[in-house]
Amino acid sequence: MEQEKFEIWMMEYLSGELDESRQLEFKKYLQEHPGHQKEFEVLSNTWSEIDEMEIPEPSEEMDTSFFSMLNSELEKNERKGSSWIQNLLSIFGPIQKPQLAFGMLLLSIGLGLGYFLNSNPSEGTSGEIVVSNNETEEIRGQLVLTLLDQPSANKRLQGVSEATKLNDANERIIEALFTTLNNDANINVRLVALESLAKYVETPEVRMGLVKSIALQDSPLVQIALADLMVALQEKTSVESMKELLKKPDINNTVKQKLEESINHII
Amino acid sequence: MQELTNNALMLKVKSGDVDKLGLLYERHKKRLFGFFYNMNSNASLSEDLVQNVFVRMLKYKHTFTGEGSFSAWMFRTARNVNYDYYRKNKIAFNQSEVSTVEYKLEDGDDLEKGMNKKDEISVLNRAMQILPPEKREILVLSKFKEMKFSEIGAILGCSEGAAKVKAHRALKDLRTIFLQLETR
Repeated sequence: MEQEKFEIWMMEYLSGELDESRQLEFKKYLQEHPGHQKEFEVLSNTWSEIDEMEIPEPSEEMDTSFFSMLNSELEKNERKGSSWIQNLLSIFGPIQKPQLAFGMLLLSIGLGLGYFLNSNPSEGTSGEIVVSNNETEEIRGQLVLTLLDQPSANKRLQGVSEATKLNDANERIIEALFTTLNNDANINVRLVALESLAKYVETPEVRMGLVKSIALQDSPLVQIALADLMVALQEKTSVESMKELLKKPDINNTVKQKLEESINHII
Repeated sequence: MQELTNNALMLKVKSGDVDKLGLLYERHKKRLFGFFYNMNSNASLSEDLVQNVFVRMLKYKHTFTGEGSFSAWMFRTARNVNYDYYRKNKIAFNQSEVSTVEYKLEDGDDLEKGMNKKDEISVLNRAMQILPPEKREILVLSKFKEMKFSEIGAILGCSEGAAKVKAHRALKDLRTIFLQLETR
C-alpha cells in the first residue's frame, strides 16, 4: 500500500471515522505489516496524549465583555431603528400648511390600518416570534446573572437594570436579585435591586422576601425605600419586621420616625 | 423550546436579529477558547481573540450564506483573527526553537527523577508550541471531536484526503519534536 493511503486510513481510524468492519480490516492490515504497525503504535500514543493536555476554563470576564459588546450592538441597532422613524417624520417637516400635513398623516394611518387588517399572519410566524422573544429573554437572563456576579459596582448596576428590562424573571434571577438586595456592598446597587424586585410584588415569595429583607438592611436609604414600598403594598406582615428593626439600638432617627409612620399607615 | 441549528441562528443574525449571536456564543465559546489556547498557551489573550471572532462575525455577517457548515465558517474567521493578531503585533508566529526549550527543561527538577505521565504531557505541550503553526493548527482542529476532516478541509481550503495526510504528518512531526525534547 502507498504510504499516503496508509496515512489517510490511519487518521480515519484514530479520529473514529471508520465503521466497525473497516476498523477490523485496519487492525488486520497492521498485523500483516509490522512496519506500519510500529508507526501506528507510536503515533496513536501521541494522539491520545494530546487529549490529556489541559485547557483551562475561560473566565467570567470573557462572558461579561462579550455580552457588553452584544448589548452595545443591540442599542446601536435600536438607535438606527428610531432614526429611521425620525427620517420619516422629517418628510413632513418642510410642509408649511398644517392641513396638508394632517391630511397626509391621516392617509398614511388609513393605508397602514388597511394593510394591517387585510394581512392575516400565519400561526407559524407568531410562534416564531414567541420563540425569538423567549431566546432574547434567556440571553438577557444569562447576562443579568453574569453581571450581578462582577466585582465592579457599575457592572452590577448594569446587571440590575438589565433585570428590570425582563418581562418575566425566573427563580434564579429573583434569587440573585435578593442576594444583591441583602448582601451587596454598594447602597446604589441595593436600591436599584429593590426597584427591580418591586416589579414582581404580585408573587407571594417576592413579597415575603422583601418583608424579611427589612430587618437585614443597615442602610437608612434602603430601609426607608422598603418602608415606602410596604406602605404602598399595604403589606400587614411587614409590621413585625419593621418593629424588629425599631428595636435595634443604632437605628437612625429619621428611619425610626419613618418606620413608625409606616406602621401606623399599614395598621 | 425549539432548538435552532447554528446555520439558522447565524442567518437570523445576518437578517438583523443580533440577539441570536448570544446563543451562538454560549454554544461555541469553549471550543473557540480551546482552539486559541492550544495555539498560543495564553488564556487572557485567547479570551480577547474569542471576543474578536464574534465582533468579526457581526461585521462580516453578510458573507455568511448558510451553505456549508457554520463551524467551518466560524473557524475560518478564528484563523484569520489569529493571523491578524500576530501580524498586527509583529510577533513571530513561529514559536521558540528546540534549543530554547531545552534550556527551560534543564531547569526543571523533575526531569532528573525520570519521566512520569505528567512530565510527558508537559513535554508534549512544549513540543506542540514548537510545531510550526500550520501543523499545530490542523492537530488542534482535528482533536475537536465534532470537527470532521471534511470540515477541516473546508476551513483550510484543501480536500478531505489532503487534510488527513496533513494531520498525519503533523502528528509525526509532533512526535519527533517530543522525542528530541525527551532525550536532551
